[in-house]
Amino acid sequence: MPNANALPGALDGLTVLDLTAHIAGPYATKVLADLGAKVIKVERPGGDPARSLGPFLNDEPGPDRSATFQFLNTNKQSIVIDLENPAGRDVLRQLMRGAGLVVSSFSPAVAERLGVTPPELDREGNLPFVWLTSFGRTGPYRDYRLSETTLFAMGGEMFSHGLADREPLKYGGTAALMQCGAMAAIAALGAVHAKELHGIGQVVDVPLFDVQINSVDRRSSAILAYRFSGRVQVRATGSTIGVAGGIYPVADGFVEATASFGDYWQRFVEMIGDDRLREPRWLQPATQADPAAKEEADGIIYPWMLSHTRQEIWARARHARAMVAPLFTARDLFEDPVLRERGLWAEIEHATLGRLPMLGRPYVLEKTPWRIRQAAPMLGEHTDAILAGAGFEAPAIAALRGHGVVQ
Amino acid sequence: MNDYLPLKGVRICDFSAVWAGQTATMYLADMGAECIKVENPFVWNPMTRAASPRMDAFMSAMLPPWAGGHPNSDPGPRPWNNSPAFIHVMRNKKSFTVDSRRPEGLAVVKALIRTSDLLAENLAIGTLEKLGLDDDAIRAERPGIIILHMPAFGKQGEYTLGRGYGAHIDSVAGSTILRGYREDAPYSNVQVFAGDFFAGMHGAIAALAALRHQRRTGEGQVIEAAQVECSAQMFPQAAMDYAWNGRVAGTIGNRSIEGFVPNGVFPTMGDDRWITISCRSDEEWASLARFMGSPAWAVAPGLQTAAGRATMEEMIEERLAEFTATKDRDELFHVLQHAGVTAGPVLSARDAVEDAHLDASGAWKDLPATADYPATRFAVPPYHFSKSNITIRTEPALFGQHNDYVYREVLGLNDEEIESLRAAGHITDTYDAQLLAGG
Repeated sequence: MPNANALPGALDGLTVLDLTAHIAGPYATKVLADLGAKVIKVERPGGDPARSLGPFLNDEPGPDRSATFQFLNTNKQSIVIDLENPAGRDVLRQLMRGAGLVVSSFSPAVAERLGVTPPELDREGNLPFVWLTSFGRTGPYRDYRLSETTLFAMGGEMFSHGLADREPLKYGGTAALMQCGAMAAIAALGAVHAKELHGIGQVVDVPLFDVQINSVDRRSSAILAYRFSGRVQVRATGSTIGVAGGIYPVADGFVEATASFGDYWQRFVEMIGDDRLREPRWLQPATQADPAAKEEADGIIYPWMLSHTRQEIWARARHARAMVAPLFTARDLFEDPVLRERGLWAEIEHATLGRLPMLGRPYVLEKTPWRIRQAAPMLGEHTDAILAGAGFEAPAIAALRGHGVVQ
Repeated sequence: MNDYLPLKGVRICDFSAVWAGQTATMYLADMGAECIKVENPFVWNPMTRAASPRMDAFMSAMLPPWAGGHPNSDPGPRPWNNSPAFIHVMRNKKSFTVDSRRPEGLAVVKALIRTSDLLAENLAIGTLEKLGLDDDAIRAERPGIIILHMPAFGKQGEYTLGRGYGAHIDSVAGSTILRGYREDAPYSNVQVFAGDFFAGMHGAIAALAALRHQRRTGEGQVIEAAQVECSAQMFPQAAMDYAWNGRVAGTIGNRSIEGFVPNGVFPTMGDDRWITISCRSDEEWASLARFMGSPAWAVAPGLQTAAGRATMEEMIEERLAEFTATKDRDELFHVLQHAGVTAGPVLSARDAVEDAHLDASGAWKDLPATADYPATRFAVPPYHFSKSNITIRTEPALFGQHNDYVYREVLGLNDEEIESLRAAGHITDTYDAQLLAGG
């Protein structure tokens, strides 16, 4: 094994000026930073609001104690600039000269008010400028507000998520915002390729609404199905198609099973190993659609499930090639020895928090490894260094600080 | 004409299947890579071109719309060319057919690999190896190639043989357990899964990064993007809360983990019409209270901070539901937004199609009819580049549509060789008759 620290990052040499805040934009630039880009995070006085998002270390709030912020900002550098001040915008334009990519999440109205739109920051249009907005820069909803929940309700497939006799249901956490961040990272890398290959800068709009409309977690499929057939995807009455499948309670939690029809059924039956389910009649479509047959199958399957643990069931499923998997909790994710051995978790070394675990790499790149070089920055931790790197002399930096332009 | 395509000149040999792999290569194809799907007419890849090769009107109607809503609910003779579930991911790609299990077919695949910059796959573990295409064999054909593996649970470790679609990826990634009605078991999580979709995006990110390194240095590499590990990134708050505080998060329904109170889904007039409201700040709550006519309960001093509202969340949700129940959903959406409150309708597929903003902002593109589906509108990619021509440049690739291009122009075979491969069943625009008969 070569020493991973001696290997280059895939995005070495790329400097990103990061004008994003909260969740989606910072996830996009985190992805780039973890692949080796130098990301300069421009924070407002007081900092990215994500610094006040829970959960906090030991439940004590503090600008560096947010686990959400720490996750979203690994490997970045922080400079605090007051963009309300015209001198702050001059500093920003100066920083742009060393950048290969700008990523922004200012709303159109705020960007216009502050004078930080692409043509104002980059008159020649030489830089890739990726702009995450809620609803894009045109159209009737342009200035509307968005939250994780409204985003998934409007753009995602919330309408058909949940149960028929109850209200529509969102995902957990902030999944939709995370998806938008990942999509913006794809767009950003595309723009970087276009710059490096063709020498062109350009504006790349990434409206979060559009990302969700395009998501193939069934939204785009449901929309096309309506166009094709006139059928509207609705919430289901239960989780099962056929006589088995869906989520089952087991001895220590739950498992998810796909077990309807054909191979899926046969492998599921093989996993359980009960001869009564091996009878050919179960494979007949009429049986699979018969409520009495489902009741009969439940009478065999439920006791079996409840007398086995998730890991016992998953091991048997893997052996039988059955489509069955355990529902892991956050505890399992952290403590599962197999995931741990594979390297799901990394560590950060933070100047004031100390050594802490950090959710690690999504992918393993053989020659240009994903890696954490440093913990998320403290507020304005790199202000002086970034300014010096952009050509500001010490007295100029002191003056900017004195006037509150930077902090 | 210069399209300024970011991945101009990049060719992909695409063995991907289902969603994770097929969306990963879709993003790369969007960026201008020539993505050539390798399709075997003798092997049906489950959930890759349709739910079944034998889909008929009856089965179409049995399945939920996302999987069964083929044109006019009648898939016709080639259901693999008009599945609403999978046709999107074929955009900007090319499709050619070959039976790679036979020596002459494997030779064709190897010839394609020799002209490719990246090979992508997420087939069941061991499938490529069985064909004789392990990493070393691939690199022997094309040194400097990037190999993108997207296994469900990784290529090493005890879970390697685990099988999974999105539902199972979500389960192990810790996502399913977080989705459910408040303080309820997760049984309601039955239809929408995002783990494979999220993994697909990360596969594309890793590939885009590796392609940059390849362009700059000539060096290729193997990428392993285990879907479950990509997907685990989708819920960092819960994972980190356990890692740092030992707390195991459960279901919170439609409430917010960001501290927004209220945050939820509320009924409006009519059948199954809902609005979501999030008060992201105390100012938004004050605006909402004013909008409701400042009722005594809402302007009570205790409710003017998020912490105060959190202690009365259930009461607030009940009162809010009473208020919204008599309102028109869309009217309420617009007036709340204008009053400074974050709100949005829960849009069904029909609502989304009719949405005025999506229409006005260019989210759709009309595509012409083919033999397998009528003229219709598709969603364009959600990243809008001002110079690079990134849209649906070519319509979704039909099965075997680009055989002539691939065999003749890419691989340089002559008429005789092509006829021989056609006679042996490699070159076709339909699946093998025995496979279609269920044999």
